[in-house]
Amino acid sequence: MRHFLVMCLFAAMASVVFGVMAKNTNRERWLYGVKIFAEFVVIGLVLAWILYFIPW
Amino acid sequence: MVKSERLQVEHVEPTPGSAWLVAIAAWFIPGSGHLMLKKWGRAAMMGGVVWLCFFLGLAMGGHMFDLSTGQGSSVWLQVPPMIANMGSGALYIVSWLLNIGFEDDPVQAARATYEYGNTFLLIAGLLNYLTVLDAFDIAAGRRS
Repeated sequence: MRHFLVMCLFAAMASVVFGVMAKNTNRERWLYGVKIFAEFVVIGLVLAWILYFIPW
Repeated sequence: MVKSERLQVEHVEPTPGSAWLVAIAAWFIPGSGHLMLKKWGRAAMMGGVVWLCFFLGLAMGGHMFDLSTGQGSSVWLQVPPMIANMGSGALYIVSWLLNIGFEDDPVQAARATYEYGNTFLLIAGLLNYLTVLDAFDIAAGRRS
């Protein structure tokens, strides 16, 4: 659980900077930040499950 | 190059010197570039994230990179992460001077959050590079 929370924290901080930088209006920034956050979390979970089944 | 393109190139405004000053300040103290531009919200959010990310990385037991840790050709392997770490500006320099986050401690490396800490420290520097670029663009009048 701690790993997931740390990943969410990382995603939140990166998405704040990306969101503030990337768009022009506050609404666009919010939407872009939420989208980036969701992408980080979803892709992180997908990669975690893929790596779980790979027997290194 | 057609005539209209040539005219456009000729009318490009030169970058003001103050923009470089803002960029250097933004690198040295995260958030200060936007503060100089009176962009309070951006300074708080972008600078705040860099500071938070850096101190969380240290609290997790993360390790920063310099050229003293590698041996032989592996010294060069330290350069990319060192460049990322150096993005934190004064935070990196002060930590280096005080030897905080640079010592090779096996106990610290055994912590569950050690690799997370490394990543947070790297990301703090990289996010600050983005902050510098944003402050520079605003100071140069390329964005609002």
